[in-house]
Amino acid sequence: MPAPLRVVHYVNQFFGGIGGEDQAHVGVSAREGAVGPGRLLERALGDGARVEATIVCGDNFASEREADASRAIGAELDRLKPDVLVAGPAFGSGRYGLACALACRVAQSRGIAAITAMHPENPGASSARRGIYIVPSGAATTSMQAVLDALAPLARRLGRRETLGPSEVEGYMPRGARRVHDRGQPGYQRALDMLLAKLQGRPYRSEVPYAPPERVAPAPPIADLARARIAMVTTGGLVRKGNPDRQVSANAVRYHRHTVAELESLSPAEWEAYHAGYFNHLVNSNPNYILPLSFLRDLERQGRVGRVHEHIYALPGVSTPVAVSAGHGRGIAADLKAAGVDGALLVAT
Amino acid sequence: MISAIYNFALTTGANRVIRGARIEHVCGDPTLSPEKDYAFGMRIVTTALQTLTIAVPGPTLFDPMASGKEAAHAS
Amino acid sequence: MRLEMGTFPVTDIVFGRATRYDSGRLTVDRDAVLAAVRQDPRIATAELEIAKPGESVRIWPVRDVIEPRVKVEGPGVCYPGICGREIATVGDGRTHRLAGMGVVEVSSVNWHDAGGDFVETYLDMSGHYGEMYPYQKLLNLCLVVEPDSTLNEEVKNYAVHKAALTVVDQLGEAVRALTPPEREIFELTPVDPKLPRVVYIWCVHSPQAMSGSPSAFCTATYGLTQLTPPWYLHPNEILDGALTGPYRTAFAMSWTVANNPLFLDLYRRHGRDWNFLGVISLRTEWTTQTEKQLMANQTAKLAKQLGADGAVVTWDAGGNEFIEVVRSIQACERLGIKTVFLTSEDDATDGAPTMLEPLPEADAIVSTSFFKNVTLAVPEAPAVARVIGLPTKIVRRGSTIGLHGGVDGNALPTAGPLPPPWRYDDHYGFTSLSCIE
Repeated sequence: MPAPLRVVHYVNQFFGGIGGEDQAHVGVSAREGAVGPGRLLERALGDGARVEATIVCGDNFASEREADASRAIGAELDRLKPDVLVAGPAFGSGRYGLACALACRVAQSRGIAAITAMHPENPGASSARRGIYIVPSGAATTSMQAVLDALAPLARRLGRRETLGPSEVEGYMPRGARRVHDRGQPGYQRALDMLLAKLQGRPYRSEVPYAPPERVAPAPPIADLARARIAMVTTGGLVRKGNPDRQVSANAVRYHRHTVAELESLSPAEWEAYHAGYFNHLVNSNPNYILPLSFLRDLERQGRVGRVHEHIYALPGVSTPVAVSAGHGRGIAADLKAAGVDGALLVAT
Repeated sequence: MISAIYNFALTTGANRVIRGARIEHVCGDPTLSPEKDYAFGMRIVTTALQTLTIAVPGPTLFDPMASGKEAAHAS
Repeated sequence: MRLEMGTFPVTDIVFGRATRYDSGRLTVDRDAVLAAVRQDPRIATAELEIAKPGESVRIWPVRDVIEPRVKVEGPGVCYPGICGREIATVGDGRTHRLAGMGVVEVSSVNWHDAGGDFVETYLDMSGHYGEMYPYQKLLNLCLVVEPDSTLNEEVKNYAVHKAALTVVDQLGEAVRALTPPEREIFELTPVDPKLPRVVYIWCVHSPQAMSGSPSAFCTATYGLTQLTPPWYLHPNEILDGALTGPYRTAFAMSWTVANNPLFLDLYRRHGRDWNFLGVISLRTEWTTQTEKQLMANQTAKLAKQLGADGAVVTWDAGGNEFIEVVRSIQACERLGIKTVFLTSEDDATDGAPTMLEPLPEADAIVSTSFFKNVTLAVPEAPAVARVIGLPTKIVRRGSTIGLHGGVDGNALPTAGPLPPPWRYDDHYGFTSLSCIE
């Protein structure tokens, strides 16, 4: 008979019995055994499973002091060494959902299997696309039993170091780990089957689940443009004429940084477009269409813009995967930040 | 971000989005005379710069050709 | 419109004294056919070669694969409008087709000279790479043709495609007067009014944006490739080749358009599973948001006015063309038309969305897997014994197994192992390859 499954449960200050919103600031603590819904979890997990301990953390602490929370949760996990961490369910609570995702990431970084549950529109659910197992739940706690019943078998299997099957089979939220798969039936037949199901009101499942895009907090506004350093970036595939840097015309594996400190404008004698996604000839006649240096210089001379940053950044955006693009963006942003740039214009084609 | 196909910039999370002219000539219009082409491009660029001085709640579209913009600029 | 389609299955192709069809064997009078091709003074050189399933043969560069079809009764000609052909509306009367074969247009002419689009497709008649495509099972009569090099690029395109269609016409003559072994009637007969009404929204790339020309060569509707508002086509017009010509991927050939299994199944199940209303053809790659949204609105309006309850949507491109396609889906859904979208996917690295602009209204998607051969981890195609066409292929820099878009590239021997082209992209759902997560 296998050893009992050792489970650690992560909950927030409310489900941990500490208090409500007024206690959301409390740090990480651990209690022995199951607390609150942890008892239902233990029951759902069935024979051979024990909630060894419950880690409790205030939602505000987890969101505002993420590094400290990570460290503390990690320390508890190092001490407890469970087979699997179950976090939540967080239902519709956004901060709790984010905290549960955090707890799962900490566990996984230590090689401990982890799983959580929340409503698909919970902000924490976007972590699903970062390789966390998340079981979809309703928005309200009334669906507690149902979601625990769905989550428990997966938690057991993860705790036993089993690999779970695809999301559409096992019922967790798609994690973005898409791979090639032969569905055994030509696409056109599947399309017409799906059409009939949809028209007849029968259930159907999209082969590409929808996920809302991530949101980025807007940067605060610049107080005074006349004192600001402004940079320019383009995904329009701007290159020096003749493409001496040998940039590709699509699927950019790198971006190029060019100096425009001495230039008043981008001249067609010195610059051109090399981009496989649009008709390049117009930009070849006037490269400022995709990197508006001439306009910025004019405004700089008029004192309406403080300084035009001496570096510009260029790449061809077309066919560049999202993950790669994000990497380029992070690199360029770090450069601009280090150079004291206040704002940037990004021209896309 | 200046783009002629601005909606998908908005739906994918860009916060300050300025409508550009056309994919193949984002900041201007070569079918216009050189002066009008430049003035058009300048309008797009100044609109874009102005957005950097405005707080936005999330993905927001700014249209350089919208008349409201012109009125605000004039005052 | 009522079309009787007579099918002549081709089981062998040989060269011989006269072009004729007899019990599956197609004999081709090589000299006569080439003489017809060479009548066009724009053609510099032309040769015919045969490639059969299972042979160790590679064909490169493949610009198009065309199924021979000929109008026997009724107005117009098959593959109307393109290359100066008659533009009379087709879809009525009787058409004969040679099934199980293709006429392959092999030429060094590139799509246009504005950059960004390159002819990349090669076809193998055996081996793992060939098996990915339907052409491996066809008997392929290859026209290796080069135009007068002093012509401008656009004229060159039309000259070589016309040459391929000349071969098609010559073969069609062989079966014009014969009785077809297989016959099928195609008609949008009145059906049970309770059946759901379904339209096929067929999105087709226009080369106008990339080339800067409204008459650049590409998949054409009655010969037009330019950006036009959505266009209703009776399905019989598709059968007679009103939508024809290649785009840049192996699944975007005249042959796959005419043999589109999604389209054919929609049509054949008319009256049984649905009331098929026909095809709305939407040209893509408009270059402003306004134009893209306008086309989307008008496509949905047209579908609604036709009475559609449901729509199946396909497209043949990548990049920003996605926007008018997905916005058409959104516009349809908002008008109460239930849509299904058949599409390929881009890389999913780091859990990124695999399409350009995911919208919640596009909630019924069938995936034909990743479109990049790199992502599909398709190995190099093996060396072959014989090459039809050019002896070398330029493989552009960028990845270990081939990519368009490098400044220069290595010219590899066509006969040797070759990386697959950049895109796979099963536009019409021929295969069962998909994605799962």
